[in-house]
Amino acid sequence: MNMAIQVQGVSKKYRLYIDRARTLKETMLFWHRCKYHELQVLKDINISIKAGSTVGLIGRNGSGKSTLLKLLSKIIYPDLGTIMISGKVSTLLELGAGFHPDFTGRENIYLNASILGLSRSEVDERIGDVIAFAELEDFIDNPVRNYSTGMYMRLGFAVAINVDPDILLIDEVLAVGDAAFQSKCQEKIDSFRTRGKTIVLVTHDTSQAESLCDYTIWLDNGEIKAEGAPHDVVGAYLDHLSKLEANAAIIAREKYVDISEQSEDEKCNIQDVKRISVQEETFNNDFNNYQNKMKPERWGNGNVHINTTRMFDDTGNERYVFQCGETAKVFIYYEMKQEIKDLVFGIGIFRSDGLQCYGTNTYLDKYNQESYPLKGVVKITIDKLNLLHGKYFLDVAAHSKTGLPYDYLTRHWSFTVRSRIKDAGVTRLDHQWEIRGN
Amino acid sequence: MWQRIQEIMAYREMLRNLVHKELRARYKGSALGFLWTFFHPLLLLVVYSFVFSFVMRVEMENYSLYLFTGLLPWTFHATSLTVGTNIIVSNSNLITKIYFPREVLPLSVVLANSINYLLALPILLGALVYLKWDIGISLLAFPIVLVIQLLMVIGLTLIVSGINVYFRDLEHLLNVFLTGWFFLCPIVYPITLIPKEYSGIYYTLNPVTPLIVAYTDIFYYSKFPDWNSLFYMFVLSLIIFFTGFYVFNSLQKSFAEEV
Repeated sequence: MNMAIQVQGVSKKYRLYIDRARTLKETMLFWHRCKYHELQVLKDINISIKAGSTVGLIGRNGSGKSTLLKLLSKIIYPDLGTIMISGKVSTLLELGAGFHPDFTGRENIYLNASILGLSRSEVDERIGDVIAFAELEDFIDNPVRNYSTGMYMRLGFAVAINVDPDILLIDEVLAVGDAAFQSKCQEKIDSFRTRGKTIVLVTHDTSQAESLCDYTIWLDNGEIKAEGAPHDVVGAYLDHLSKLEANAAIIAREKYVDISEQSEDEKCNIQDVKRISVQEETFNNDFNNYQNKMKPERWGNGNVHINTTRMFDDTGNERYVFQCGETAKVFIYYEMKQEIKDLVFGIGIFRSDGLQCYGTNTYLDKYNQESYPLKGVVKITIDKLNLLHGKYFLDVAAHSKTGLPYDYLTRHWSFTVRSRIKDAGVTRLDHQWEIRGN
Repeated sequence: MWQRIQEIMAYREMLRNLVHKELRARYKGSALGFLWTFFHPLLLLVVYSFVFSFVMRVEMENYSLYLFTGLLPWTFHATSLTVGTNIIVSNSNLITKIYFPREVLPLSVVLANSINYLLALPILLGALVYLKWDIGISLLAFPIVLVIQLLMVIGLTLIVSGINVYFRDLEHLLNVFLTGWFFLCPIVYPITLIPKEYSGIYYTLNPVTPLIVAYTDIFYYSKFPDWNSLFYMFVLSLIIFFTGFYVFNSLQKSFAEEV
């Protein structure tokens, strides 16, 4: 099998200038003032991509994905190492780069296609396809300055995709246009794959990485953290992300502890519900559905203090990612100063968009115990975590039977459920199919 | 080097389109349209004719004709350099998003300006005919001189466009420098005005001088240019041309990070 792309020992540094001399005058006058620190964007990267494969690059923001893509497309050059590419490359970094607003759509197709390396006769051959693909038949002879953003993007995508390269490099530009156009893009990419072209795709959409790609590379801080079959790599990546998020929740909670310790004296005076909103921590941008209303919050009179919450699988390993239907155990570690008889522990599971999927407590479940230890752990075993694919948050609480909160923590823990089956809804009901004649 | 040139050849369609864009975009939307191409040198011609034949009293037969002969190639030279300095920086959106041989951008500027020069020539020729000037067989030498000038302007434009990415004030320095350079060329005055003892230095140190002299020989004096000096210019232009490619190529690797 021949290799389409071979990257050997590639490193790349960016210089971040603090005080940059951009002119000859400044350089002559202040030659000593040129301060910068170096940012190692990629460290000793080795990649071999087989011709005809579709490779997904995943990783958090700033992990070096886009830099790698720019290196592959020869827009920037590596400091160390070599990159060998066999075949014609087309890069979709930004759609419509190089369009001239005064020119008509048709003129811009010729201009843009030639920038991407096509000859005039090749464009003549394809211009019909391009216009049809962009769905711009009626506007193709209008200047592109009058185009809507969507039309502009569609034209850009149509030109780039019709260059018909051997290797296509895509940086998150698939989210163009409406659903119909997107599915067309998808079809086009599928046809690319079936014709044995090589595709390298940077994506934040992990399900896309799984469904489109047959090889996945996970970049973290400029290094390859894992590579291989998409399912495994995406799984490891999501696990890592959930862990980060759960840790962020812990940090946020520890901040709360700091605040509450400071106000220990005041706490005695204030008997009613106290609300302390915990500052949003470093929740990473990869979860753009994370909204303000989803901020972790905590309130309660502090008679019971929940220290930590953890999730485990049935073999006792701490977990952040579960497969749909797996066994999950939630451990709530608490302590209290004096024994409280009127004590209820509860949990709530929320989907990332705020929908409550399930909620219960010891009172509803009629779980009764004579006395509770001053320091202990509440264990909830969920035999089958039948939630569908997605991201979830956990609320935990200790309160009285009448609902007076001792300690109430929202968005306290987060976990991800993964599923290969793309069924719809909230939860997977146990079911069987049977079809027979009668 | 050869590979580079081959790759640029592969992108000649882009070059062609950019030249087209450069020519069209400059004049699109103006009422006089393409006439603006000639407007600038014509205006200069009027001003300099007034100053030098009326105020300064240069004693030359049809001074305006002489002036125009030198003014056109100078405009080509100077505009290529001024527009060319900025061409990489002003196309940062392309540089950071798409791969193509970067040389195409400065080349497109030079070619567009050379086309502007060629398009202004009919006016010059028209004037020659109108004045019943002696139009000689010397016109045949014109393409040779043009090619030599083209090589030189390409080389120089590549250098300034590359350096301007790192030192953005080059643009301003160059404008001042070009004004001085203009008066060091025998455009507004004939080269015979230069004192004999300096003419050697004057001729060799300023590469534009032999070109202007050659152009005026062809159009104004209706004689073939001095072949020796043309050969010297050819060699010099080739050196500038290749130096330009070399300098540009060594600068271009970090363009995408610097613009």
